[in-house]
Amino acid sequence: MAITGASEKVALQSLKASDWHLEGAFDVFYSQPQVAVTNFRRLEELYNRYKEPDAEMIMVEGISQLCEDLQVDPQDIVMLVISWHMKASTMCEFSHEEFIGGLQSIGVDSIEKLCEKLPALRAELKDDQKFREIYNFAFTWAKEKGQKSLSLETAIGMWQLLFAERHWPLIDYWCQFLQVRHNKAISRDTWSQLLEFVKTIDPQLTNYDEEGAWPYLIDEFVEYLIENGVVQHSK
Amino acid sequence: MSGGGPPRKRNFKIEEFKNRVELNPKYAERTWKVLEHAIHEIYNHNASGLSFEELYRSAYNMVLHKYGEKLYGGLESTMTRRLKEISRSIEVAQGGLFLEELNTKWMDHNKALQMIRDILMYMDRTYVPSSSRTPVHELGLNLWRDHIIHSPMIHSRLLDTLLDLIHKERMGEVINRGLMRSITKMLMDLGPAVYQDDFEKPFLEVSASFYSGESQEFIQCCDCGNYLKKSERRLNEEMDRVSHYLDAGSEAKITSVVEKEMIANHMHRLVHMENSGLVNMLIDDKYDDLARMYNLFRRVTDGLLTIRNLMTSYLRETGKQLVTDPEKLKDPVEFVQRLLNEKDKHDKIINVAFGNDKTFQNALNSSFEYFINLNNRSPEFISLYVDDKLRKGLKGATEEDVEVILDKVMMLFRYLQEKDVFEKYYKQHLAKRLLSGKTVSDDAERSMIVKLKTECGYQFTSKLEGMFTDMKTSQDTMQDFYAKKSEELGDGPTLDVHILTTGSWPTQPCPPCNLPPEILTICDKFRSYYLGTHSGRRLTWQTNMGTADIKATFGKGQKHELNVSTYQMCVLMLFNSTDGLTYKDIEQYTKIPASDLKRCLQSLACVKGKNVLRKEPMSKDISEDDTFYFNDKFTSKLVKVKIGTVVAQKESEPEKQETRQRVEEDRKPQIEAAIVRIMKSRRVLDHNSIVAEVTKQLQARFLPNPVVIKKRIESLIEREFLERDKTDRKLYTYLA
Repeated sequence: MAITGASEKVALQSLKASDWHLEGAFDVFYSQPQVAVTNFRRLEELYNRYKEPDAEMIMVEGISQLCEDLQVDPQDIVMLVISWHMKASTMCEFSHEEFIGGLQSIGVDSIEKLCEKLPALRAELKDDQKFREIYNFAFTWAKEKGQKSLSLETAIGMWQLLFAERHWPLIDYWCQFLQVRHNKAISRDTWSQLLEFVKTIDPQLTNYDEEGAWPYLIDEFVEYLIENGVVQHSK
Repeated sequence: MSGGGPPRKRNFKIEEFKNRVELNPKYAERTWKVLEHAIHEIYNHNASGLSFEELYRSAYNMVLHKYGEKLYGGLESTMTRRLKEISRSIEVAQGGLFLEELNTKWMDHNKALQMIRDILMYMDRTYVPSSSRTPVHELGLNLWRDHIIHSPMIHSRLLDTLLDLIHKERMGEVINRGLMRSITKMLMDLGPAVYQDDFEKPFLEVSASFYSGESQEFIQCCDCGNYLKKSERRLNEEMDRVSHYLDAGSEAKITSVVEKEMIANHMHRLVHMENSGLVNMLIDDKYDDLARMYNLFRRVTDGLLTIRNLMTSYLRETGKQLVTDPEKLKDPVEFVQRLLNEKDKHDKIINVAFGNDKTFQNALNSSFEYFINLNNRSPEFISLYVDDKLRKGLKGATEEDVEVILDKVMMLFRYLQEKDVFEKYYKQHLAKRLLSGKTVSDDAERSMIVKLKTECGYQFTSKLEGMFTDMKTSQDTMQDFYAKKSEELGDGPTLDVHILTTGSWPTQPCPPCNLPPEILTICDKFRSYYLGTHSGRRLTWQTNMGTADIKATFGKGQKHELNVSTYQMCVLMLFNSTDGLTYKDIEQYTKIPASDLKRCLQSLACVKGKNVLRKEPMSKDISEDDTFYFNDKFTSKLVKVKIGTVVAQKESEPEKQETRQRVEEDRKPQIEAAIVRIMKSRRVLDHNSIVAEVTKQLQARFLPNPVVIKKRIESLIEREFLERDKTDRKLYTYLA
């Protein structure tokens, strides 16, 4: 552990894999592709730099500091990606475990290394599968603790952020529609189904099926679009 | 054997002829001639001079001595020659005698053939089968067919004559049916193929064009009813014709020709005929015409379907008009009565004219179901109709009459899609009836409940029954109250309390109003009495639902007993202490809510014959600046004057909206319960199937809106009763 900087768990794994031969263990360790070298102590130092003075959490100030260090805007979507790696439970807070675990899974232990990784992290959004995971993660992360639904304002903000990465021509209409017609919180089902909608239905709604078991909010959105002449009524 | 010595034993052998004895061919020829001659004599009606035994023997010998072929051949050629002669004699027959001659000759031929067959029976039995020849009788028929019927001169003439006669008969002349019968029988005897090819087929063709022409003619000049009469007549004629002189097998064929030409080809035109078609017949209750149409159309493909479709669309149109015409909607009781009348009328038509045909009954039912539900106030109106009947309409009616009317109403009830709306209104109206004691017959009320229970199940009526129970219990309670507390109460006003179980009754939240002190005292006494025996219960006075009887003395000493609502009583009692009060005073003292107060004052001051109060100014509406005075000059012919305002009426717009909203709210949990029930048993189900199942489960009460079902599903997802399947987004899973 001291030589490789690996965590205890990884060290044990490598030893087991090599049948408790030390040299073999090193081979195993270094041959594992994804396991990046992270120094546990350095991670702790990093954590201590950002954490609240009287709590075991990194809060808003710590996060702003982090952003400054990384030279990114706190609203930058890469922060969402990082939060996703951390499996953060709520916006604007990282617990000790989340912070450490997250950086480890990204495979960095210093700000410089994290900076270097930023483009790669951004690129993860281009991956369909990952984007979906991040998108669905965003719902739980962005909503208030203890609430079941996401407030409309926050939801719109998140959507605009997310769909800047993955272009959806109807995003503005969607947000408009919600503000004019709905004005209530967004349920999880609606949130996750919207992504499906964006992925499968084309912007002219030619393949939209009324019997398609879409959430009623989306049905109403379609009606709204037809009413306002944005799309043609296909029937 | 001559005498002499003892007889010599000798084997006596009989030997065959050493030489074959040939029958002298001349002998055969001679024999044949004899037979030939006989045949001719037979045809000449001179058979009596012949010896059957001799002829038979001759024929027998010929066959025995292998001259069968000669015999047969001779027979054939002789008969042929004879028939050719006969043919000529028939051909020369003139006019009407042609058929007669043919017939006569046929009879003769048959008789002759019989005799000839008898004579030649041995040949028929031995030579004929062994040489595969046609038997004599059949030969005789075939020859007749070939040389008479198919003879060029006779063939077409025969057909033309027959058809001509039939045509004449169709045009009204009388013809010789017996002769016709003989001829057609002859054709049948010659073989069904002969009958069909030489007569029946052309007959059918000619008939088809005859009826085609006639139907065109009729349809131009007749109205539907008359046309049908004529068609029926023609049909019966043809059947009659067949039974008299055509082969029975022709009946189905000729009737289908008539049916096709007269009915099937003109079906649509007939049914849609202006001023006399189906719709007019329905409107004018033309039972005979309708029955005739039914019976005739039944015979052709899609005949009944045509009638049924037109009837359905007519019913739907009329029904729709009835139900959406604002004029007709003004009086709910009238409205429902009209619906019942329509139903009765058409029931009768189906019964009398259409033989109670189930498919027509179904068409009627589906039409009613369609248009009754076009108006979403139908449930309310039907309830008002029942209310009217139970309140006064059935006064003096026998038990049977009551049952009949209620059963009819139930029929309409079954057509309703929104039965839960009906339930709400029925409850309201029943409450008013019970509380004001205005029901014509308790038995009738109960009978209605039983019918509803049979139709919709126990749950539908449990609360209604609860209402009845409350009424009974209240009576008992009051008896007990007065028995126990009579000394305490002394001379105070008499109280009659109805204790209503919340939940069974359609009570609305009632803000308390200030009761007059006399009343308050006794009410409090009752309250303490009741809570003494039923601790733990909470009593709230429903001042918006009560009534009071007040004795009032007017200016010239006339005494009247006024029957008023509780609110009205509170107002009137104020005038015991002063003569005049402003609106604001009254409002303050009684604390009755404004809208109720205005209605109350209006009924006390502005209704002719019931104006126990005088209002200044004398306008029709109540304004907040009005002043009210006790009307000394009030008069009425009746001693007991009813001024109450608790009669059930058609709701105003806002009330209607409110009721509808409550109904919608009530439906949500029902839909959710249905979804959960279904998902619990199916575990995994796709969206459309859930919607279909839910609709099916709830259809006895109302028709759920698919959008509402969808929203409920999403709400259940949110509350983690269900979840969407991860791979197929149309599938939902039940979360235990």
